[in-house]
Amino acid sequence: MRGDNSSGEFYSIAISNGFQQVDSGTKMIHLGKNTSSRIISKGIAAGKSQNTYRGLVTAHRKATGARNFTACDSLLIGDKCGAHTVPYIEAKNSSATFEHEATTSKISEDVLFYCIQRGLSQEEAVGLVVNGFVKDVLQQLPMEFAVEAQKLISISLEGSVG
Amino acid sequence: MALLEVKDLQVRVEEREILHGLTLTVNEGEIHAIMGPNGSGKSTLSHVIAGKPGYEVTGGQILFKGEDLLEMAAEERAAKGVFLAFQYPVEIPGVATMNFLRTALNAQRKARGEEEFSTPDFLRKVREVSKSLNIPQDMLKRGVNVGFSGGEKKRNEVLQMALFEPSLCILDEMDSGLDIDALRIAADGVNALRSPKRSMVVITHYQRLLNYIVPDVVHVMSKGRVVKSGGKELALELEASGYAQFEDAA
Repeated sequence: MRGDNSSGEFYSIAISNGFQQVDSGTKMIHLGKNTSSRIISKGIAAGKSQNTYRGLVTAHRKATGARNFTACDSLLIGDKCGAHTVPYIEAKNSSATFEHEATTSKISEDVLFYCIQRGLSQEEAVGLVVNGFVKDVLQQLPMEFAVEAQKLISISLEGSVG
Repeated sequence: MALLEVKDLQVRVEEREILHGLTLTVNEGEIHAIMGPNGSGKSTLSHVIAGKPGYEVTGGQILFKGEDLLEMAAEERAAKGVFLAFQYPVEIPGVATMNFLRTALNAQRKARGEEEFSTPDFLRKVREVSKSLNIPQDMLKRGVNVGFSGGEKKRNEVLQMALFEPSLCILDEMDSGLDIDALRIAADGVNALRSPKRSMVVITHYQRLLNYIVPDVVHVMSKGRVVKSGGKELALELEASGYAQFEDAA
């Protein structure tokens, strides 16, 4: 963000399955004054995969009043996968405000059983929970694309449970 | 006609036997209360009937409408009409209650070979049922049970019960975490669902709930068995004398 008062947004969903090692993220470079950025990253790890978010947020010496908000949420499916969050934060002036939030949760057996007791199969139950998890990112997408993305997620996770 | 027959059921959890030969028959349209102290196996029984993983059935059988229930997957049991109202309903963030209800209802209908509900039909049905339970529409837009009060969570369970129209409802400690008013609203909802075609198994520690949901039969469980059965007056007797007398009997 070079111009004063400019802003940037980054929304992502990263899925890893099988033996994949996924390492993804973004960079937000604040050069102008009063620039702001927002990062919402959702990581889903299944199988024996490792899913890493790696993101750089930096404010230049002259980028006074720079603001960033980062939220990194990870969802684990099964107990053989891992999620990692590696934020790089470089503030070169004292007026920058950078916030970083991270959560990691696992789809619990209780949640799955609740869905299954109401008639969903194991696979449908996982799909429902995953869709809920990525909802705030999918909401940012145009309708047609969100539908495609949802399908893509379920295809990527096929066979990852049970 | 017997809807649910549990015969000499033996269940283990991690090598420890929890139910040691439990027998219970629930006829169509009857309401049975199961009372007993902590650790007597009440919740285990409800979980095994609903098909929760982690329990090993080592003996006995469960028949539902004459079919072997233990042979069925948990979602199949749901589609056949087994409903468990959870003691602690879980939260599912990001999944709107309305969406959840629709997905579940249509999954059950599909499993039974029935046609799925169209959106307008479904909305009409939910509105009708939620109105009778005093559930505001905006509650249905929120994530499943996310940020719901204890009373709202239990009302959401009753809502699903009304919507899915199961033939067997198991209420696992519905009174836990509810104040008197919330309990009355939830119980009224349950009572409205009483029908000659629907049976209920009400699991509770306290007689209080049974003032609202009056059972036909009361069973006392202790140490993994039914040690005494009787009419609704048995619950009052228990309230006065406690469970200790049955501990020795088991």
